[in-house]
Amino acid sequence: MRPWIRYLICGFLGVLLGVGGAAWSICIGALGSARTIGPWTTGKDYGTAEASAYTRAVVALRGLLALPATEARYYNAAVDSAGRPLEGRCRYHVTGVGLPTKWWSLTLYDPQGYLVANQPGIYSVGSAGLPSAEQAHWSVSVAPDRQPDHWLPTDGKQRFELTLRAYLPDDGGKGNFTGDQLPTITREDCA
Amino acid sequence: MIRQWIGPAILGGVLGISAWHTTVVATPDVLMGLAVHRISAVGGINQFTHAPLATAASRTIVRPSPDIAYSSCPFDLTQGPLLIDAVPVPAPYWSLSIFDSHTNVALVRNGEKAGYQPFRLAVVAPGQTAPADYEAVHVDGIRGIALVRILIDLPARFPAIDQERRTTICHSG
Repeated sequence: MRPWIRYLICGFLGVLLGVGGAAWSICIGALGSARTIGPWTTGKDYGTAEASAYTRAVVALRGLLALPATEARYYNAAVDSAGRPLEGRCRYHVTGVGLPTKWWSLTLYDPQGYLVANQPGIYSVGSAGLPSAEQAHWSVSVAPDRQPDHWLPTDGKQRFELTLRAYLPDDGGKGNFTGDQLPTITREDCA
Repeated sequence: MIRQWIGPAILGGVLGISAWHTTVVATPDVLMGLAVHRISAVGGINQFTHAPLATAASRTIVRPSPDIAYSSCPFDLTQGPLLIDAVPVPAPYWSLSIFDSHTNVALVRNGEKAGYQPFRLAVVAPGQTAPADYEAVHVDGIRGIALVRILIDLPARFPAIDQERRTTICHSG
């Protein structure tokens, strides 16, 4: 084999593996993978020039136009509090306390980051919609079938993710919420 | 035999690392370009598109909040600065954020910071200047998106807020 053919083959393979590897790592990168707290992952440098190139690429793919930490914090969960992947055929109990923020919301997405179709058109539960008696301690059922309390439908999707948004955090986005402040995700049963 | 492949293997490794880095760095710009294209295809460039509340059918951007009314102004500064006349809506949360071509936030101002008073911004590319009475916001690149977020705490409030938010306008300067 001529030498230039060897260089051509290795060069081509190098570029292919480099581009493919980068695309793969961006696609599997967790939104906010900078810090894990229980089932939640988060990062503080969304939308800023300080973010690493990799963080910026993952956020651009999975949460384009995200706000910086001073304005909003994003916590994403793809697993329950026991570390098991969130499955649409299962019923989960999500419980939390009042977060130190102006308002928060919990939204269910498919793994591609889109809202999940469901007949009643329920996509999120947030502090703005909770009665004052439930602001300090709240719970939400995440399940494929209608639940008697606050309910986020999974529509039986094989996998789903939960995103907790906290707008105007009391600390100006300087720190992360603690494990005690963030909601717990408990799997109750599966169909 | 193996020695003949050492040089090519080193070249492949160097090119692979370079390709990995280039792909990661270029991804935000490519995705922002696609977002600008998608949004401007709906409502045009350098003007606001006022989207309905997000549903499962929404595919313009990923991970939309169903509690937020989004108004987006995709911009192209080729012809000059983008001028924004912003009028905060008295909702529990209102903000205007400006994202450059690299997806960085050049400015974010919420209703509280603005005192819920109107304000004017000029988004300028390197070498451009802001007109008088407009606060300059410098961005890298010539494309990006200005985005207004309004919290809809009660769905019944959306029709009124939908009318009020249209008082915020953007246009080429």
